[in-house]
Amino acid sequence: MTRRLLFMLTAIGTTVGAQWLNYPTPGIPRTADGKPNLTAPAPRTSDGKPDLTGLWTGFGGIGDLKLDDAQPWARALIQQRTDNFGKDNPRYLCLPEGPTAANAAEAFRRILQTPAIIAILDNDLTYRQIFMDGRKLEADPSPSWMGYSVGRWDGDTLVVESAGFNDRTWLARNFPHTESLRMTERYRRTDFGHLEIEATLQDSGAYSRPWTFRVSAQLAADTEMVDMRCDPSEQGRQHWTGTRSDAQKSGVRVAPEILAKYVGVYKGVWARRPRVVEMTLSGDTLFVSIGGGEPERLVPQSETLFSGMLGYTFIRNDQGMATDVVEMHASGNYTLHREK
Amino acid sequence: MIRQFTLISMVLATTVSAQWLNYPTPGIPRLPDGKPNLAAPAPKAADGKPDLSGVWTINYRPYSSNIANDLKPGDVQPWTEALTKQRQQNLGKDDPSTVGCLPFGPRVNFAAVTAPLKIVQTPTLIVILSEDLTYRQIFLDGRDLPADPNPDFMGYSIGHWEGDTLVVATAGYNDRTWLDYAGHPHTESLRTIEQFHRRDFGHLEIAETFEDPKAYAHPWTVKVTGDLMRDSDLLEYVCNENEKDSAHLVGKASDVRSVEVAPEILARYAGAYAGTRGGRPTRFEVYASGRELLFSRDGSARQPLTPVSKTKFVTFSGVQLEFVEENGEIVALQYYGAGFGGPLPRVREGR
Repeated sequence: MTRRLLFMLTAIGTTVGAQWLNYPTPGIPRTADGKPNLTAPAPRTSDGKPDLTGLWTGFGGIGDLKLDDAQPWARALIQQRTDNFGKDNPRYLCLPEGPTAANAAEAFRRILQTPAIIAILDNDLTYRQIFMDGRKLEADPSPSWMGYSVGRWDGDTLVVESAGFNDRTWLARNFPHTESLRMTERYRRTDFGHLEIEATLQDSGAYSRPWTFRVSAQLAADTEMVDMRCDPSEQGRQHWTGTRSDAQKSGVRVAPEILAKYVGVYKGVWARRPRVVEMTLSGDTLFVSIGGGEPERLVPQSETLFSGMLGYTFIRNDQGMATDVVEMHASGNYTLHREK
Repeated sequence: MIRQFTLISMVLATTVSAQWLNYPTPGIPRLPDGKPNLAAPAPKAADGKPDLSGVWTINYRPYSSNIANDLKPGDVQPWTEALTKQRQQNLGKDDPSTVGCLPFGPRVNFAAVTAPLKIVQTPTLIVILSEDLTYRQIFLDGRDLPADPNPDFMGYSIGHWEGDTLVVATAGYNDRTWLDYAGHPHTESLRTIEQFHRRDFGHLEIAETFEDPKAYAHPWTVKVTGDLMRDSDLLEYVCNENEKDSAHLVGKASDVRSVEVAPEILARYAGAYAGTRGGRPTRFEVYASGRELLFSRDGSARQPLTPVSKTKFVTFSGVQLEFVEENGEIVALQYYGAGFGGPLPRVREGR
């Protein structure tokens, strides 16, 4: 029941010990002690535009898009995908992420800016091109995985319009989109180390209204992007069986006083990044919130094993108090230590 | 048994009516009649270096099908040769990139690549974009190659300028990719040195040196040229989007039921055949040698043809060729290949 996140499996499988991870990024203003000065002014290119070039991390989001905004067919599809633990997500078939490449919070992306073209390199070894040469989006584009993007400067803000996505990729949270999807992104480098991004998406084929999300990406100084190429030959997917409703059926009841001993904040490392998971109790149900995200209900499979999108096993001391929780990904188990 | 060209068929399947394929490339010097002036001087970047930016199509033959074309038999280590033969025997069905949909690795370096590449150049970083949505990064910020790189598909590349030539050194390839369609392997010890020189606006000269002492006896250099692709752009190609071919890739080269064809019949096929294939000019030279028929495509090394009938032959990679007879004369070589099939008329040059 807890066998998903194949993507993470394949991703993590290739991440260990890549190169130049500690190479000092050239051209970064530094404070007296040699640390990157991320609040220095944003750099400019020779043509006077803000230069967005750099390695960035911390994208992600779907904004305030709700299930209720989805048309009935889309709502049914989201529910079906969620019940299947999202196992049919094309990303697990190693297909390109499409417009969701903007969404991966764990991702690193490199922006390379020239006057005529801006390339955005994703760490899954795919890229986007943004044409800056004044061309217009075509009216009836042939659908593609990464879509077609044109950009222009609005003062110090880069405005990117995209269309022509195929309908095979998924947005965040298992939400579908159609070929009608259009995306407008506004990028503003507020200082050396910060890039504010506001993305507005609309898809009249699936949702009743446009939606917007804002993220703040940080410059990843003195490190390098790690190639997390997914391998289509990985056989993990065939082991990815079961549905949420199965997990529901096999659920057992665990007394609230036992669950209360699991409530707390757990910290560790996953995908080379700090990971914070919070367990809360509401009535007699345990909820997990990952990185401050929306709490998700956990279904007990035993006194210590719980099932959600991921699986969790609590490690207890003699008093039944949890000391650690093991988060189970398809890539393996990650132990998070209880902080409070 | 002869079901290859998966790459070609998949490429063709996705090429229809993409975007901006007829958009005039901005910044190209033009002649008074509006045609691109490809002999104009190479453009310079703001830092005074030659600007290699643009979409380039590579004159990849014969190296895409045989990167070791210029090598002698002893230059290839025995295990390398045996593995290459075995891959050919399997008709390339284990090709990790065209069939397995993994990145092409060093095979998308310019010497062996069959699809166009886009160079995006800045002073400290050059990026090369490929139609399969993969990319390479070449750092020009003064960093050194890592001493013990963690193997990766695309390797790690650093570059510097020597006069007007960009020199790119790459190490840290994994050993999962092939160097060409023939299946020449490489090890993790592979290092490549590429030299790029933009001769004029429309032409790029590339020399790539391969050094892999665990698989090849000595380094060797392959030289190809690139032509600027005008008024068009890269076409997205995603191998894995509808991959249904690999299950049908069965059989071996030795399954081809060979027949015996008399030497005097083979002798009639010897000669040159020229025409266009996939929109490019191509020339086949056919040689008869006793009981064997050999061919060379566009100057590449000679390869044997296996007869399956009096007029039909199969190449090592499973492509069918048929000699066409009219009024008692051999007039053409019919070439069977997905999207590329067609007759190549015999060249009359009194041979």
